[in-house]
Amino acid sequence: MEIKKLLFVTKFEELGFDALQSLLSLRKAALNHVVFVNVIERDKVAMRRGTGYRKQEEIRLRETANIRFIDWAEDLYEQGMEVGVYIVVGSLVPEVIKAAQKEQADLIVIGRSHKSMLEQFYSGSDITELIRRTSIPVLVYKPMPENAFVLEKPFERPLLATDWSAADLRAVEYLKGLTDITQMIDVVHVASAKELTGSSAMEIQKTRKAKRQKLDEICDILEAAGTQARSHVYIGEPVEEIEKAAREHQATMIVLGSSAKPAWVEKWIGSIPKEIAEASIYPTLLIPPDQE
Amino acid sequence: MGKKVLVVDDDPDVRLFSVTVLEEHGYTPLEAADGVEGLKMIKDEKPDLVILDIMMPRQSGIRLYRELKTDKSLKNIQVIVLSGIAKRTFLRSQKALTDFGGPEVPEPEIYLEKPVEAEDLAKTIKGVIG
Repeated sequence: MEIKKLLFVTKFEELGFDALQSLLSLRKAALNHVVFVNVIERDKVAMRRGTGYRKQEEIRLRETANIRFIDWAEDLYEQGMEVGVYIVVGSLVPEVIKAAQKEQADLIVIGRSHKSMLEQFYSGSDITELIRRTSIPVLVYKPMPENAFVLEKPFERPLLATDWSAADLRAVEYLKGLTDITQMIDVVHVASAKELTGSSAMEIQKTRKAKRQKLDEICDILEAAGTQARSHVYIGEPVEEIEKAAREHQATMIVLGSSAKPAWVEKWIGSIPKEIAEASIYPTLLIPPDQE
Repeated sequence: MGKKVLVVDDDPDVRLFSVTVLEEHGYTPLEAADGVEGLKMIKDEKPDLVILDIMMPRQSGIRLYRELKTDKSLKNIQVIVLSGIAKRTFLRSQKALTDFGGPEVPEPEIYLEKPVEAEDLAKTIKGVIG
C-alpha cells in the first residue's frame, strides 16, 4: 500500500502548514498529491431568528480558508506536487468521507476531536465515527509542541501496537510501503496480567516467549521489506503501556489497527485505539479493517 | 452559434460569472467543475478556448494544462488561466515537473489573477479568440 494522495483535514486551529510540512517526508515513499479539506460546520452559518441563513458569514469563512489554502498550495505546487481543495459547509465526517472517496485518497490526516466529553458520549467522537465509516487509514495528528517535542519526521520511528487482529495485519502491510522513510519500527504487544497467571515462572515466561515469537514474525516481514524492526512485550493496561512503550523507544508515532466492534459495544467497554488517538501525546495512525 | 469556450473551475460562483460574461458577448459557454471533467469535455467538445482555474479537486489546472499542451490534437486550443494562484507559482510548478522528467510546455496565452472585472475578462477573451 502506497501513500500517493493524502487528505489533509483542517480547521486551522490545530493542524497548520507546519504540520503538513512535517508529513512531506512521505514524498520519499510515494506522496505526490495533497488535498486540503475545510468543513465549515453548519451551525456557524445556520438560520438565526431575524437574520435567516448567514450567507455573508459563509462567504467570509470560505474565503478565509481559501486564502490560507492558496498560500499553502503555492508552496506545494512549486515543489512539483499536485494540490486539490474542498471548502464545504456541512458535517465534518460525512464531508470528509465524501471528499476521500471522490479523491480516492490513501490516507486521511486529521486533528483531535474537539467535541466535549458529553457530546462524545452521546454522538461519539469525530475520529471514532470516521474510522468506522471508512476503510482508508486515518492519521490523528498532533504536531503542536504541547509536550515539548516537535516532530520533524513523524514516520521515522513508528511503534506498531498489535494484538494480531485483521486490522493490525493490514497495518503491517501499510508500514511495508513506508520503508523508505522509516528507520526503525518497534512492534509491541501488551498482554494483560490475566494472560500471565500461570502457576509458575516458567509458564509465565512461556507465554511471554510465545507472544514474542509472534511479534518476531511481524518483525521478519518488516525487515524483509527493508526496515529494521524490534519486538517488545509489555504487561498491563494497554493504553498506559503503549504510551510507555512509545516513550521508552523514542517513537515518533503510534500505529494501531482500529476496532471492528459495534458502536454500542465501544461506547460501553471502550476502545483502545480511540483512547490512544484522543489522549496520547503521539500522532496516532489508525488502520481500519478491510471493509467489503 | 458563437465560438465554444469551456470554463473549468470548481467554484460555482466563478463559473456563473464567466458563463454570464460569455453569453453576453455571444460565445457558447461550456462548464466543468474539476480537472478530470474538464479534460473529458475538452476531448469531447474541442472548444476554441479554455478558461482554466488551478486549485481544484481531483486534478488541478496545472496538470490539466500539461495534458492539454502535450496532446497533439489538443495543444492548439487556447488557454486563459484565471486563478488565485500566482503566475510565478504556475511557472515554477511547470518547471519543477519538467525537471522531474516531464515534457516542456509553453506558457499560457494569458494569465489572470482572480478576481477579474467582467469587462476585462470579455476584452481578454476577444483578444485571444476574436
